[in-house]
Amino acid sequence: MDQRGVGMSSDFSLFERHLDALYRSALRLTRKPEDAEDLVQETYLRAYRYRNRFKPGTNEKAWLFTIMTNVFRNRLRKRGAPEDPIDQPGTDFSIYDQMRRDGMPVHLMSPEEIIVDRGFGDEVKHALEELPVPMRMVVVLVDVEDFSYKEVASILGIKIGTVMSRLHRGRQALQKKLWEYSGRPKAPSLAVGAR
Amino acid sequence: MGDHCEQTMRRLNTYIDRELSDSEVRNVKAHLDDCPPCEQVFDFQAEMKRLVRKECCTDDAPARLRDWVRQLSTEKSKPAG
Repeated sequence: MDQRGVGMSSDFSLFERHLDALYRSALRLTRKPEDAEDLVQETYLRAYRYRNRFKPGTNEKAWLFTIMTNVFRNRLRKRGAPEDPIDQPGTDFSIYDQMRRDGMPVHLMSPEEIIVDRGFGDEVKHALEELPVPMRMVVVLVDVEDFSYKEVASILGIKIGTVMSRLHRGRQALQKKLWEYSGRPKAPSLAVGAR
Repeated sequence: MGDHCEQTMRRLNTYIDRELSDSEVRNVKAHLDDCPPCEQVFDFQAEMKRLVRKECCTDDAPARLRDWVRQLSTEKSKPAG
């Protein structure tokens, strides 16, 4: 069966423009450049194979991320990686609140000054990569890739309420990691986010 | 923290993620204009979100991966398999 379709080549080049986004997200998910490259390759191979199932005019970036997050989760499952603890309540934490409690002039400081300027360079990436996978995926999709809650729900096959709670707890866990990296006193432990 | 502060705080994420309706955005903004402590928290968290994006957008795909994808997209003659 010939599945070439009219204008296929130009359709596929639509997908090409999301390569950097897919790669940087793959890096956050797999944590290793070689695994990220492999994940992106499989994503594009599948996108190519199933290109006729893509509805022109719909969001091709969301479509690619749906493929990639599915491939990634299947790989974790095959490898027998333990399920990350998700959806338990955690203790509320934010750098802002913590600094206020410590009597720091937080309203005169930006997160960049607090976290990056005194740090070792890649702490935001490291902190993100330490989050449990379900939260990490939501934070990456919302904060880095700028997808809407609705798009993330569709990409990951979860409810919008789940997107919101994972995002909320993911951001708190991220700030807790960053707080620890910045050499501040240990933050109160969260039920989630520890590895 | 007053009731209005608590109500506004519940919208912190949806506000900075631009998930609120126009009228909800107006309500949040009206409170933030009147309440510097809440405004500081919102500013901080919005800045935090920008920081995550900025710090994580520095990795571009390697050139050989780009070439590979480009090659795939020009493989017009091959039927999908």
